Amino acid sequence: MSKPHYDREHHVKKATGIGDPQCFKGEAGAPKFKVGDKVRVKDLPDIFYSRTQVYTRGAPATVAELVYESPAPEDEAWDNTDKVTWFYSLIFRQKDLWPDYPDAFDSDTVETELPERWLEPL
Amino acid sequence: MAEKHKPAPMVDEVSEFEVLEIAVRELAIEKGLFSAEDHQRWTEYMHTLGPLPAARLVAKAWLDPEFKKLAVEDGVKASLEVGIDWVNSMPTHFGTPSDYCNLRVLEDTPKLKHVVVCTLCSCYPRPILGQSPEWYRTPNYRRRLVRWPRQVLAEFGLQLPDDVEVRVEDSNQKSRFIVLPVRPEGTEGWSEDQLAEIVTRDCLIGVAVPKPGKTANDPRPVRPAVNPYHH
Repeated sequence: MSKPHYDREHHVKKATGIGDPQCFKGEAGAPKFKVGDKVRVKDLPDIFYSRTQVYTRGAPATVAELVYESPAPEDEAWDNTDKVTWFYSLIFRQKDLWPDYPDAFDSDTVETELPERWLEPL
Repeated sequence: MAEKHKPAPMVDEVSEFEVLEIAVRELAIEKGLFSAEDHQRWTEYMHTLGPLPAARLVAKAWLDPEFKKLAVEDGVKASLEVGIDWVNSMPTHFGTPSDYCNLRVLEDTPKLKHVVVCTLCSCYPRPILGQSPEWYRTPNYRRRLVRWPRQVLAEFGLQLPDDVEVRVEDSNQKSRFIVLPVRPEGTEGWSEDQLAEIVTRDCLIGVAVPKPGKTANDPRPVRPAVNPYHH
């Protein structure tokens, strides 16, 4: 059996002089959501790796910005860069994340970024 | 007699994490992922970094509305004007996995205050801000800032009125963040140099606001927990 060849430098070759996430620009296709859309964060299983905070699971949010295109961290952690997806900057109301957040500070928010696969329309 | 044979005080010269880092580094060098020279150049480069370019960026944005617009729209491009090239900085020339090249500049307004945290680890805009302060990496700050932002900010000496929206920016993916605070009163007619002096690292993380005459970070307060650990 021959030894499988694995190109350990494929990311370097792709990103050098361009930057990461810039090197994935244009690969994700049409975004599913637009600025202002209401979404809910799915509560997907994450067996090995994820960067979706547990406190955001199941919470409603508003799309603030389409920030960049990149493979989702669940894929990229294993060096799988085939499925490039849109990343959205989302704004959560604190009250939606922590039910006993003080009413006096009703306008307080948390902003964070999640890939498209974690979001469903609300 | 016993006193004469006390063991010498133990000094942990190398922590377990440092041993781990050395082991992984030597494996990586052995496998050819990078060379020892690469590592040395990277380490030396890291030690040249600090928060001055980001302070300069904020001062420029205060003085030039066009530059402010550019900074908010394209932080990477705006960084070039303060001498920081996110994309071509050595030695990787594409940003390392811990320093992706997507800087976002968060603009405060009188009714909106940003503060940055990385709840998952310690993502920090190192090319433009240098190494993160120790407290930024502690579980204490990372856990509590998203949950009790006003209390944590108050511990830093920053008490905000009820009608100001506190927006915690949880830096969890490939964007890195600095805060563009509101220009304080009493700085009319100041030069870029004067303005840059009062934009401290803490102002750029968002746990402080710039004040005329204040050019250094406060020491990080350490207080026992007053809130229960459950939600």
